Amino acid sequence: METIISVKNLVNRFGSQLVHDRLCLDVGRDEILGVVGGSGSGKSVLMRSILGLQRPTSGSITVLGQKIEYHKPGPSRCWGVLFQAGALLSGLTVQQNVELPIALYSDMPVETRHELASLKLLMTGLSLSVADKYPSELSGGMRKRVSLARALALEPKILFLDEPTAGLDPIAATEFDELITYLHDNLDLTIMMITHDVDSLFSICDRIAVLVDGGVVVGTIDEVLDSDHPWIRSYFGVPRALRARQAIGGLTRE
Amino acid sequence: MRSDTFLSLDNQPDRLVVNVKGHWIFDEVMNLETATASVLPEAGQAVTFQCAGLEDIDIAGAWVLYDRTEQLSALGIKSELTGFKAAHFKFLQNIIDAAAIRDYQEPVENPERPRRFHKTVENLGSHTAAVVEDLGAIARSILDGVRKPSLIIVGETIKQVYATGVQAIPVVVVITFLIGIVTAHQASGQLEKFGATVLVVDLVSISITRELGVLLAAIMVAGRSGSAFAAALGVMKLNEEVDAMRVLGLNPNQMLVIPRILGLMIALPILTIFADVAGIAGGALIAVGSMGISGLHFFERVAYSTDLTDFYVGLSKAPVFALLIAAVGTLRGMQVKSSAEELGLKTTMAVVQSIFMIIVADALFATLFTRMGI
Repeated sequence: METIISVKNLVNRFGSQLVHDRLCLDVGRDEILGVVGGSGSGKSVLMRSILGLQRPTSGSITVLGQKIEYHKPGPSRCWGVLFQAGALLSGLTVQQNVELPIALYSDMPVETRHELASLKLLMTGLSLSVADKYPSELSGGMRKRVSLARALALEPKILFLDEPTAGLDPIAATEFDELITYLHDNLDLTIMMITHDVDSLFSICDRIAVLVDGGVVVGTIDEVLDSDHPWIRSYFGVPRALRARQAIGGLTRE
Repeated sequence: MRSDTFLSLDNQPDRLVVNVKGHWIFDEVMNLETATASVLPEAGQAVTFQCAGLEDIDIAGAWVLYDRTEQLSALGIKSELTGFKAAHFKFLQNIIDAAAIRDYQEPVENPERPRRFHKTVENLGSHTAAVVEDLGAIARSILDGVRKPSLIIVGETIKQVYATGVQAIPVVVVITFLIGIVTAHQASGQLEKFGATVLVVDLVSISITRELGVLLAAIMVAGRSGSAFAAALGVMKLNEEVDAMRVLGLNPNQMLVIPRILGLMIALPILTIFADVAGIAGGALIAVGSMGISGLHFFERVAYSTDLTDFYVGLSKAPVFALLIAAVGTLRGMQVKSSAEELGLKTTMAVVQSIFMIIVADALFATLFTRMGI
């Protein structure tokens, strides 16, 4: 398996609080890695460190063979990020938001740019009638889709998703899961996804990384479920996780 | 037969065969556009895109290919795409799927005659109505807040007096001191011609106490605190803090607007006193330092020319200016609804409009006091 993201001995310390203690994590090509962990276990800090938005106390991170340094330009051509609240630029229309990265990185003709942006909007399941609206006029779910379209604008190799289904109703969340699976299968994407949604964790992730005690437990769903770490047992032992697991198990048996 | 990095053309008797090859990816879109443009003039009745030689493709590259086939069929030329690897074809499939949705969505526009004038008048009317309604609602809840006073606002008011008044003292003192110097210099140049140098003292002390002290303090505060009010309340609106207060049964206008108005109405008169003293001190520096008037003479002259009425005239404007600054700042902040862009716009409006209104009010005061003979 080719390694796309490699985190080695990452340490993040805030005052006396040790969030990551020599954490090591590899993400391989074309996999969907789900990241879970309790509040304050450093899920967002891990993602922000990988994206170069956070200066780690120590440790090294490489993405696509390029070393990540704090606030230095990383391989931003090759990754797309879906922030939790969308993080669309509020002064630009939906269309302009999606076109912006294309305009920054390519000198293609305006019409082509326009068409490609529209295409991305259509692919994320939006209708083109939203193209001229401003982000503040959209619902939360639509904002996430636009944000996903923007993340896909540059044909990225890697997609980072920060709680993509948080705040969505079950129907929209399921649709979003399907959309992510579809994009993963069709665009050869490597996806790293922070999520608390056990349904999407079980239904779309190839591997799961659980952040516990400053380190990480990584494995396929079954491997993680077999772990005897108390926090992992209680996380996957709650009724909703059991139900989600049964649903998946039931489907695979048929 | 021609060829380049991305395609080679092969003219066969019944059709043009285009061998697609290389990397058809986002970074190459510009080159792909030029390369594929060369296909159009050579196309006969039919074109076949032979895609077996393709090494790499993504959505952008697939779109260029798809777009050309669409153009060809619009010209009545048959085109087909063959030889795709499955891994490559799925990118094209994405576009075909998306295009199908788009074609289906097309006829939503209502072909109505544009009635721009009507629309403008309608927008203007509804906008005005909304602003009037907002103003009314805010004014009313402020009145409610005054009618049912709450002790919580006392602490908040003191905080505002500190933030808008005490912290502004250094900057207000420095600028009025400098303006005192400027006024004295300008006046001495003119009054020396008449041998009336000593009148510089009158001019500085009267203009500072009646006009400049309060005006400069108010403009400074409008820039400092008017913008701060608008920005703080605007962010609270964006973070839904204001909504949270409402559902808790608190009156946000009472909690946020009244302390700011009260605080500023206390702070600005105090700042005005500091400004008056600093301005006259600036005048004194020049009079004593470069015009040969003794310190004692200067203060005698100030006491002779300027009485308490002049001081009160200046001071009486301060609460009015404070009310204008705080009301405009908080109102603009409360009007922020959705976006960060709007926040910036409203903050700018708060500063510009409060300074504008200060100067308009000052002109009215000047006329009023002159008529009253004060």
